[in-house]
Amino acid sequence: MIEVKNVSMSFRISQDRIQSIKEYLVALIKGKLKYKDFWALRDVSFSVHPGEVLGIIGHNGAGKSTVLKVISGILKPTSGSVSVHGNIVPMLELGSGFDFDLTGRENIFLNGAILGYSRKFLNEKYDDIVAFSELGEFIEMPIRNYSSGMLMRLAFSIATVVNPEILIVDEILAVGDESFQRKSRQRMMELMSGGTTVLFVSHSLEQIREMCDRVLWLDHGQVKMIGEAQEVCDAYQI
Amino acid sequence: MDKKWNLRKGCVLALIGYAVLAVLFYAIAGPQFRVRIDSTDSVSPSASAGEILAGAKLEQRFVSTSDRLTGFSVLCGTFGRQNSGVLHLSLYDETKGQAEKILIEDFSVDLSALQDNSWYTVQLETPLENAIGRNLLLEIFSDDGTLGNAATVYYGNSVATGRVEIASEGWTPLYQNGQPLQGTLCLQTAGETDLWFGRYYWYFAVGVGLLLGLYGWRLCALEKKGKSCLGLKLIHAFTRYRFLIQQLVSRDFKTKYKRSVLGIIWSFLNPLLTMLVQYVVFSTIFKSDIPNFPVYLLTGIVLFNFFNESCGMGITSILGNTSLINKVYVPKYIYPVTRVLSSSINMLFSMVPLLLVILLTRTAITPAILLLPFSLACLICFCTGMVLVLSASMVFFRDTQFLWNVLSMIWMYATPIFYPESIIPARFLAIYKLNPLYHFIRFARTVIMDGISPEPKAYLICLVFAVGSLVIGGLIFRKMQDKFVLYI
Repeated sequence: MIEVKNVSMSFRISQDRIQSIKEYLVALIKGKLKYKDFWALRDVSFSVHPGEVLGIIGHNGAGKSTVLKVISGILKPTSGSVSVHGNIVPMLELGSGFDFDLTGRENIFLNGAILGYSRKFLNEKYDDIVAFSELGEFIEMPIRNYSSGMLMRLAFSIATVVNPEILIVDEILAVGDESFQRKSRQRMMELMSGGTTVLFVSHSLEQIREMCDRVLWLDHGQVKMIGEAQEVCDAYQI
Repeated sequence: MDKKWNLRKGCVLALIGYAVLAVLFYAIAGPQFRVRIDSTDSVSPSASAGEILAGAKLEQRFVSTSDRLTGFSVLCGTFGRQNSGVLHLSLYDETKGQAEKILIEDFSVDLSALQDNSWYTVQLETPLENAIGRNLLLEIFSDDGTLGNAATVYYGNSVATGRVEIASEGWTPLYQNGQPLQGTLCLQTAGETDLWFGRYYWYFAVGVGLLLGLYGWRLCALEKKGKSCLGLKLIHAFTRYRFLIQQLVSRDFKTKYKRSVLGIIWSFLNPLLTMLVQYVVFSTIFKSDIPNFPVYLLTGIVLFNFFNESCGMGITSILGNTSLINKVYVPKYIYPVTRVLSSSINMLFSMVPLLLVILLTRTAITPAILLLPFSLACLICFCTGMVLVLSASMVFFRDTQFLWNVLSMIWMYATPIFYPESIIPARFLAIYKLNPLYHFIRFARTVIMDGISPEPKAYLICLVFAVGSLVIGGLIFRKMQDKFVLYI
């Protein structure tokens, strides 16, 4: 389903961020145009089978989010290749692409379009989304008037209304109040057990153990270990 | 299966559409494709030839530059009084190798109807065919002119180019009774030149149609084999992201006037008010003698405003969508393209006040106005290319937007929006015409104000600028787009 082969990703970090021609020229003349290559990923290879839930763990800055971004096509790897079969719904961050001047209803269509849903699909699922988000009549209000909890609920409802072939999740399980958290967790479990291939990043080993079939452990941009969930988690915890 | 059929259906529809357009095009623009109407410029009058008395003869030799000579005009003077009698304008053919000059036509001018200091225009009864390169002779004489009751003609030795007068060179002087005068007769000739494009139009049309058909066939064949190519990718991307583009455009549109009281009315009001201000300024303070100035001005304003708005907003289209680009994969060109599309819709709205002004000023509306979309489409393509480059360079150098502010101002003054293009000195004209906006706006004005199609060359120029900008912009954008994420 997903095939990641020898992927390396380097960021070129200039010592001070140059953002204007003047700064660039000054730096060039001074000979201070120094770059440092930072390897966020180094020769990472793994594959994910259809229907599998793959957890990704690692310390901060280990390259977890970078892997997800490379797979979802946002970043282009410096070297190596990624092949993906099936449509991806990324849930990297909820509510990206909301426009605060538009109403909740308009945002459902806008955000849905960004996530790649079709108009027909959104029309069909519109009522489900509103019902799940528990927004009721607020849906016709501009979302700049929403509370942050309402925003999260709306975003979560839009993002999880599909049954995508590949779902990419970056620690977003708990949003809203206690009851909505329970509801959203349940929805996630539904999605994950529904034959969807899931890539799942979390710092909570508990969740990982509970949900994942296999786990990928990244350390400083390299694959430290990949294998059975329990096994890797045990090794990670030591 | 369904898709394959759709593609084939689309290709057939495109071909039918093309055929209809080709025929319609010829129906509207045919006359301008076949012949170009041209007129020569006169020298500026500097002196009069004196009263043309009976027995006196003025001779002016000239060479026709058109394929077909249809008429000419002479600047006449009456000394501010009412004269009577007849002035003769006789046109002769003097082509070398002929023993004698041959009279083409003799025109008698009734002096009592002549206006002082005005152009007297005559039309040849039968246009002179194969006129190009022929030596022609115009004789002006009077049968009955007496002192105090005769007309005159003017001559001069300089031509006006914008605001500068330059000495005219290489002109044959006006002869008065066999003696050369210091200058040439103020004479304008009108003629028609046959254009090869009109003659071969149908070959062209069929040829392009065949190419289109072949390409469509190839697309279908490739699709069947499951291969891909640029055309297929474009079609797929369009069908896939159509909904997203729609949503983004409607977002731009909804948010633009969201919290304003008048809302969408501003789309109509803005160009109208700009025109009003500039109209007052340029028709009273700076005298401008452009005929039908309101329409002239508004056409320029609407087109330039579109350019300015789409580029000004498009420049931040990548940076402004940082949060999206960082999180969801969507082809990045979607953002600049939707930005231009939103502005295009805005431009369509501002066509309403333009139409209003056209009706109010009683400008004749002819079928030629159907050609306006061509100019607009070219402008939109051109802007898309510009926005692609600008938004990409904005990611790497934030200075772009400040540079652009200055550049767009220069651009505004370099485009004939509120001044006539005739004030540009001839020696700068070559540089001046490199400005693509000049051509788009001129095209639109010809179509709206003159009610005829521009000459075929204008189509070509517009097309070259539009496609060139789109291709260059697209290539630059494609080369840069993978690095965007690292810099925003």
